[in-house]
Amino acid sequence: MASTLRLYLTCIRNTLEAAMCLQNFPCQEVERHNKPEVELKTSPELLLNPILICRNEAEKCLIETSINSLRISLKVKQADELENILAKKFLRFLSMRAEAFQVLRRKPIQGYDISFLITNYHCEEMQKQKLIDFIVQFMEDIDKEISELKMSVNTRGRLVATEFLKQFI
Amino acid sequence: MILLQPHSRFLLQTLLNRVQNLEKAIELDYLWVEFDDVRYHIQVSTKNPNVLLLSVSLPIPPPETVFLGGLPFGAIEAIKAAYGVIVQILDPPRDGFNLTLKLNLSKLPPDEGLRHSLLVKIASVREVVLGAPLRIVLKHLASRTVAPDIGQLLALVHRPNESFFVVPQAEKVTIIYPMRFKDSVDTAFATSFLQEFVEARRTAGLNNVPPCLWSLTPPIELKEVPADALSANAGFVSFVIYPRHVEGKKLDRAVWNLSTFHAYVNYHVKCSEGFMHTRMRRRVESLIQALGRAKPDAEEKKKSPNSRSFKRLSLKEAKANSKS
Repeated sequence: MASTLRLYLTCIRNTLEAAMCLQNFPCQEVERHNKPEVELKTSPELLLNPILICRNEAEKCLIETSINSLRISLKVKQADELENILAKKFLRFLSMRAEAFQVLRRKPIQGYDISFLITNYHCEEMQKQKLIDFIVQFMEDIDKEISELKMSVNTRGRLVATEFLKQFI
Repeated sequence: MILLQPHSRFLLQTLLNRVQNLEKAIELDYLWVEFDDVRYHIQVSTKNPNVLLLSVSLPIPPPETVFLGGLPFGAIEAIKAAYGVIVQILDPPRDGFNLTLKLNLSKLPPDEGLRHSLLVKIASVREVVLGAPLRIVLKHLASRTVAPDIGQLLALVHRPNESFFVVPQAEKVTIIYPMRFKDSVDTAFATSFLQEFVEARRTAGLNNVPPCLWSLTPPIELKEVPADALSANAGFVSFVIYPRHVEGKKLDRAVWNLSTFHAYVNYHVKCSEGFMHTRMRRRVESLIQALGRAKPDAEEKKKSPNSRSFKRLSLKEAKANSKS
């Protein structure tokens, strides 16, 4: 792993550790409702300052926190058209399976590629440390997967071209 | 299978099956479609078990392509040269098809090897018919001449309403493919594949292969072609074929590969997409596992998989219980 990537991920990990102190908090406006405040943004006093961590212009991570929920949005690097398509396909693939992931948001927030929404219920159900581990592993995996997919497309292209041209020797 | 096979597998199997059971009279009526909208129809009746009717329909030609009586030029001669006495061309062809062949299976050569190679040849009828004009051009190239009554620029159909272009010269033949894809993902994949075609020539051992160029704008050879035939969203690929590429046995392979270039690229684009999906599915599973590890109760459940709330009795025990 490149050292810049490690620093980036460590920074995100530390921020998440600090940010993930969620508690149950029923809705202030509607009785017997309990909603993630970070999504509704009804009362400013329940929101904390959002944090933006950037590795470079193309890769960034926005962490928004509130009293009972936490939203993490990621932007994945897309150097060229092929990477862009691969990233889009892969993330769409994941979003469609958001049910299985629980913490994944079905739709990323604007300007980002994928978002997670963690509520206090998730924190009660799962161990906080491991949840953070999952997010960090997820980010690592996405980068790795996209570069591997790109490599495999290129390798296949080369093989296909070679086989075709060999027919003329 | 990296390269596409010239023969239609299903057609070959049907023919082999028919030849092996020639004495059994059966009714056959098959209709199927292959890539690039080539349709086949086979008919055998119980009255005449030796006769097999094979109809082929070709992709719809765009206006710039020359088609004589529903067939590319030179196709009739190519069929006669390839099949000889066992095939008879029916005129007019079956409704909705470009060509109907009447195969007389009793005239097949008795020798096992010869017969098989002839059947393979019949199964590659698509190569013979669609590749006929290209074969004429390349054959003349091998003898370093230009075929008579062929213009400066030749458009040959290879997909429905799409054609590729051939510029025949005595010393070389340039073949240009406008590459079109329906899907934007396909286009991106194909673009990166086509760049590999240009790059691949630089690797060792491939110095003698035809030079390949790829560009987003139409090459100057195509300046006379109407603009609507030149809308290609994945650029233009051109191969320059020299006589050494089509000598002797290489001619057959060259004709087939060049006339199905688009299908070949498309096939591998689809394969890569399939591979990508398999990979993603696997990756999703591994990520779900990683998330599952975060749940504390998941681990506890694993520790006692055999804990049952009831005890299963064997038959003997049950009897003993009921007696007592």
